[in-house]
Amino acid sequence: MVNQNRGATRLVPRSVQNRGRHDGLRAEVRAFLRGQLDSGVFAPGVDTWLTGWNPEFSSLLAERGWVGMSIPTEFGGRGRSHVERFVVTEELLAAGAPVAAHWIADRQIAPSLLKFGTEPQKKRFLPAISRAECFFGIGMSEPESGSDLASVRTKAAETEGGWLVSGTKLWTSGAHRADYFFVLARTSPRDPDRRHDGLSQFIVDLRAEGVEIRPIISTTGQHHFNEVQMEEVFVPADMVLGNVGEGWKQVTSELGYERSGPERFLSTFPLLAATAQAMEREELPTEPDIGRLIARTVGLHHMSSAVASALQRGEDASTAAAVVKTLGTVMEGDIADFADTLGDALGAPLTDDPVGSFQDLLRMAVLQRPGFTLRGGTTEVLRGVIARELGLR
Amino acid sequence: MTSVDAAEHAGTVDPDLLAMMESLFATFRRDTVSPDDVVTLDRALWTALTELGLSRLTGAEEHGGSGASWYDAAGLLSAAAAAAVPAPLAENDLLAGWLLDSAGLRSEHAVRTAGRLENGVAVVPWARCADSIVLLREAGGGWEIAEIPIADVSVTPGVNLAGEPRDVVSVADEAARWHPAPEGAGDEFMLRGALARAAQICGALESVVDLCVLHSTQRTQFGRALAKFQAVQHLVADIAAETALARSATGAAVAQVSDLGWSDEATALSVAVAKSCASHAVSVVVRNAHQVHGAIGTTFEHDLHRYTNPVLSWRAEFGSAHTWDTALARAAIRTGRGDLWSLITDGRPIRI
Repeated sequence: MVNQNRGATRLVPRSVQNRGRHDGLRAEVRAFLRGQLDSGVFAPGVDTWLTGWNPEFSSLLAERGWVGMSIPTEFGGRGRSHVERFVVTEELLAAGAPVAAHWIADRQIAPSLLKFGTEPQKKRFLPAISRAECFFGIGMSEPESGSDLASVRTKAAETEGGWLVSGTKLWTSGAHRADYFFVLARTSPRDPDRRHDGLSQFIVDLRAEGVEIRPIISTTGQHHFNEVQMEEVFVPADMVLGNVGEGWKQVTSELGYERSGPERFLSTFPLLAATAQAMEREELPTEPDIGRLIARTVGLHHMSSAVASALQRGEDASTAAAVVKTLGTVMEGDIADFADTLGDALGAPLTDDPVGSFQDLLRMAVLQRPGFTLRGGTTEVLRGVIARELGLR
Repeated sequence: MTSVDAAEHAGTVDPDLLAMMESLFATFRRDTVSPDDVVTLDRALWTALTELGLSRLTGAEEHGGSGASWYDAAGLLSAAAAAAVPAPLAENDLLAGWLLDSAGLRSEHAVRTAGRLENGVAVVPWARCADSIVLLREAGGGWEIAEIPIADVSVTPGVNLAGEPRDVVSVADEAARWHPAPEGAGDEFMLRGALARAAQICGALESVVDLCVLHSTQRTQFGRALAKFQAVQHLVADIAAETALARSATGAAVAQVSDLGWSDEATALSVAVAKSCASHAVSVVVRNAHQVHGAIGTTFEHDLHRYTNPVLSWRAEFGSAHTWDTALARAAIRTGRGDLWSLITDGRPIRI
């Protein structure tokens, strides 16, 4: 009988009805964003959680309580739920607002500090993160460690009062503008049979002696990524995150948050909206395929919301997050490709729009697209995660 | 069955009820089918469904229904499709039963189906197996319905890919007594049918995931299980992901209908989304499932076609993928750039 293993086919939690529950919050964020757009504070962009570094805008959000939302009030946050944070980030990304400066700290660093950090670490960093005064990067990948993260070579050796960290981290977005980054380093020799053991996480000051930051220029000509070289950088003992030797467990326990959020299906939404507008103006042909992309966006909005609710309930949602990310990031690219196949580049120019022209969004989307299905776990790695859950490997 | 208290298990099907449905369909599943079979109604199954209160699940209790919600109805449709047990459940309860209730017509238990008549003709699922047909037609800017015994209509048999009856029905005007139907009945008929088919598609796709897992873990080639090949893992992962998206979209539409009803202005969009996602999922799932199964999956002997043929048929009913994509495209274009995001989160009226 086919149905005996049915449990395996339900990879994603059921849709949860939050209908109406956050309408007020959504309306508040929308009204704010409308005002900012109208007064020209920002123009909608594509992939703005990577490309839109704007500390002033992050400050404006922090003043309204939309940075560090789910950090408890005792640590300077707003004590809101994970789902409320999800609602606000959806609104910000859908509008193409510049949120890159505080993004990593807000999404990843704060939850990790809350889960694994010491009291002094929490008191030191969380209030600053909530005020958008302290920005973070991530130091995981290396020149020889891309998808295979457990193979990292960066080493941390114990010394008096702390650790000496040496090695090279790659693809650290915003390292040239951020204050600190989380570094995954090997603290005991590699055991081929237990390759996930012996890794630890450190909070490293990006301005510390021995840190050298080199830009990596993207095909867009923009500078977001960096290579960060560390030469015996002294990290005080109180800047170890969590337990020595448990870095792998700590890093992977947060993947549900990193892979399921709205940034995994909304990176090109502003382009989809501009495409619909160009169709309305009859400057681009009306193709029903835009309806398919709208349907998928709605479906992913429900799926991603369901994962946010599961995470709030404390459930493990790492496989569900992999499903959201693999479907969502492919669709982000499909939107870019769809928009790129509609118009004739030598035809009449489209109406220029003060809130971001179709052409500018399209160029950016086409060039940013390859990264969508690579960062945070490639589509191929994620398919492996899903296959493992299904019992194939 | 006692009445189903929707509030008690809001948002899901009651697990005990679901278990009962699954066990019933397992009992009535035919182990073998032959290529010459045309699907007929299993009257013993129908009697069991009726005794358990499942054949008229969403009907009002005062008219002999079970007073259940669309959560339960969608659960029932998915369970039947997942077990490859064909029956006119959507047609009898969600279409014919609803039409009779909405026009204030009393209905005793019978096997009914329904169709939308255009120029005196309709393609009606299960017509030849039914006791009567409830027909809906446009009249003077409004809608009207008639229940007609099967003996009083002309039936030209036809089947879909899965061998399910899809009969051409024509009716002489004098054969029917027409009653006024509520405003918007034509659109609601389409939406109900589309959501029912989406729920059926989800159930069948979930069984395809199971079949692919089973086959790829049991079949050995080149000295190892197919499941050990990354290329095969990726095919199955994509099947599971597309199926999950169809289920998320359909679950959201079922919740919308159950909680806010058919007249809510966001309901049509949520159904369009569900039918679009489910229909496009069929493309990926059927293609990949055949690739995973190899030649055996193309045979009548193997079970795969008992899921793939129905979903290929169902996605083309009550609006094709193109129909719903176009409706969504028009809504998006009409909505405008600044408000497109609120269409995603809150819905918008759409024209079908």
